[in-house]
Amino acid sequence: MTLKLDYTGQTPIPVEVEGLTPDEVRGQSLAEIEQFEIQHGNEKLPLAAMFRVSGDPADGRIEFSGNLSGVHWIGAGMTDGEIHLAGPAGRHVGSEMTGGTITVDGDASDWVGGEMHGGLIHVRGQAGHLVGAAYRGSRRGMTGGTILIDGDAGNEIGLTMRRGLIAVGGAGGDVPGFNMIAGTILVLGESGIRPGAAMRRGTIGLLGSPSLTLLPTFRAAGRCRPLVLSLVFRQLQSLGFVFDADLLTAEYRLFHGDLLEGGRGEILLRA
Amino acid sequence: MAYLKISGGAIYDPANDIDGQVGDIWIEDGRIVAAPTDPAVRPSRTIDARGLVVMPGGIDMHCHIAGPKVNVARKMRPEEKRKARKIMRTATTRSGTLGSAPSTFATGYTYAALGYTTAFDAAIPPLAARHVHEEFDDTPCLDKGFYVLMGNNHYVMKAIHDKDPARLKNFIAWLLSAAKGFAPKLVNPGGVEVWKHHASGNVSGLDSNVDYFNVSPRQIITEVARAANELGLPHPVHVHCNNLGMPGNWETTLATMEALEGHRGHLTHIQFHSYGGGEGDENTFNSKVAPLVEYVKAHPNITIDVGQVMFGSTTSMTGDGPLGYFLANLFGTKWYSGDTEMESGCGIAPITYRNKSLVHSLQWGIGLDWYLMMDDPWRVAMSTDHPNGASFMAYPQIVRLLMDSAYREEMLKTCHPAVRERCHFPQLSREYTLREIAIITRAGPARMLGLTHKGHLGPGADADITIYTPDDNKQVMFEMPRYVIKRGEIVIEDTELRSTPTGRTLHVSPQHDAAREAEIGEWFEKFYSIRFRNYPVGAEYLHEPETIACR
Repeated sequence: MTLKLDYTGQTPIPVEVEGLTPDEVRGQSLAEIEQFEIQHGNEKLPLAAMFRVSGDPADGRIEFSGNLSGVHWIGAGMTDGEIHLAGPAGRHVGSEMTGGTITVDGDASDWVGGEMHGGLIHVRGQAGHLVGAAYRGSRRGMTGGTILIDGDAGNEIGLTMRRGLIAVGGAGGDVPGFNMIAGTILVLGESGIRPGAAMRRGTIGLLGSPSLTLLPTFRAAGRCRPLVLSLVFRQLQSLGFVFDADLLTAEYRLFHGDLLEGGRGEILLRA
Repeated sequence: MAYLKISGGAIYDPANDIDGQVGDIWIEDGRIVAAPTDPAVRPSRTIDARGLVVMPGGIDMHCHIAGPKVNVARKMRPEEKRKARKIMRTATTRSGTLGSAPSTFATGYTYAALGYTTAFDAAIPPLAARHVHEEFDDTPCLDKGFYVLMGNNHYVMKAIHDKDPARLKNFIAWLLSAAKGFAPKLVNPGGVEVWKHHASGNVSGLDSNVDYFNVSPRQIITEVARAANELGLPHPVHVHCNNLGMPGNWETTLATMEALEGHRGHLTHIQFHSYGGGEGDENTFNSKVAPLVEYVKAHPNITIDVGQVMFGSTTSMTGDGPLGYFLANLFGTKWYSGDTEMESGCGIAPITYRNKSLVHSLQWGIGLDWYLMMDDPWRVAMSTDHPNGASFMAYPQIVRLLMDSAYREEMLKTCHPAVRERCHFPQLSREYTLREIAIITRAGPARMLGLTHKGHLGPGADADITIYTPDDNKQVMFEMPRYVIKRGEIVIEDTELRSTPTGRTLHVSPQHDAAREAEIGEWFEKFYSIRFRNYPVGAEYLHEPETIACR
């Protein structure tokens, strides 16, 4: 049985459910879960004040429903289990999570998987800015795990990312992979400007932007059909991520950069 | 009359020659008093200290806990703050964060939780004094004071150049009174000014010229030390020598001691100034504590604090601008440089001390050399130069290193092997006694600072008292005092924080010639960014002030 949390709150003030994860509530009774402390602006409320709680948390699966676009930190810090959201989600979904799976059947706001360390987040709609990004001031952003966005995503995808995979099915915003240390970012639709600024290592595949102008600190390194892409796509396929089959056989232009940071990173553009 | 009595504890009060004898302490109106002669008098409260250790409250005579540099450090490291331990808001406490530069309230609570009741910030540009006093009001549980940066002050250097000691003395007295500070501080005297003029500039030794002013570091040290001693300041001069952290800098340090010319002076974080070895050659880096200890032993006018390095990550914050630049380049970290117009500079950079690094291991070992080779504990104070060598939160661990030679050996094994050959302490089996610990953390600093009502438990002393539960593991013992009493008020009870008194501001008010203020004002109006009349800190900015008399 699944733990069902139906959002009934109607408030313009942010609601924060930080810490409400499958491993936290597993083993608790519904009455206990109803008393879980959430934040409504600057006031603390029991979960039951904003959610109708039903079902059973024993199997480590939580199902959220309702318009959750004003509910933030869903699944943040989760280590295990599964969270499913039927409806749009607020900011910081799955931020700093280390394991488990989050699926959003709808759009998600900014900071999806901010500083994520492991696990899987799949957003079936659009995502806001700073997908898998480092929080301000952090030395390292995402250090592991996979984030899949079926629709578009905003600016600064994978800011200061260290490891892991981010795949965006739609268009991506400006400066994907800004300050990237390592890891992989794929944007299948059109990408915004200045990809990979200050990247040290890692791979940014901008597969729907054949004529994008790169920063002058990126140097063309020829054309290729990288084997690694087909391995990545195979993994994406197994996770249920949809893409054009011809990406598998297409030819790509390879660029090295950012030369200001040693130039060991790479950007792939569709040839 | 309401008395508080601490009954039956083993008292360690070295200033009054009490070494573990069991006895009672009576407290009335925030001060320690003699036991009432009338046996009918009963205390309104008695703390049963049987089986416990009673000491005066700890005194940190050199730390960085307030002022512009600390605030920059608090702001410039969000990556550290996010992961730092938090103090939550409760009925007693305001919220805050720890990390290498804890927030104001957190600083006060944490010091108290380690048995400290007094702390001095070691580097305040007088221009920022007003803000520091405001910040002190938000740093509870501690009596506080600060040292006023003067080693690169334009007026000071000009008076020295003009060979006008009367003007210099008058200015020092005026500046201390204007800032409501406690002592003159010299930081890399002359060097910071050169840094402010030239790319990568600094002085290289005591006889380098500080151009434009045409004075030498030696002149600044000698003249300020002389003037401050003539003023009879309780803590005449607090010196951060030139060439901090450079191999071979021990010669500069020795020359600085000589430059005091017999006047009382305190050399701070001397660990950072006791290095042998050649320019830029790491392989020759070694401990030169032995010759410096010999000199200090023979010259009772000199006191020191150690500036112990402990391994881990911290933030360096210093009035030594060129040093901040050096460290930031060395570690490839972010860097902040400050220029306080006529007065001083400032450099801040995150640093990590690693036990596998030759240099860092030696720095750790050289600190231990100082503690273990100074036979006279009265002239060496415990410090980490918080947060430069380590956080003040490392004090209990340092106590254990000093009291437990087996633990020291254990830690030595994790360090770079060169420490064994290049430091002296691995050959020393000395273990500090509780009495000696009470001296280097309480009685000694109080004496060095000229605080006659602190650092001891005799009648008349402030009732700043720490009560520890003895433990074989001295770190555990000193990490968690059972009771901490601040001016008679119980701050920690059964290891829990109970109250958070604001604490007093300790400052000096040496006499200056009011007739000569006009002369300072004239110069001031020409160069400063603020008006002369707005500069001195008014009494309304001080919170529970206490003037410490000159000698």
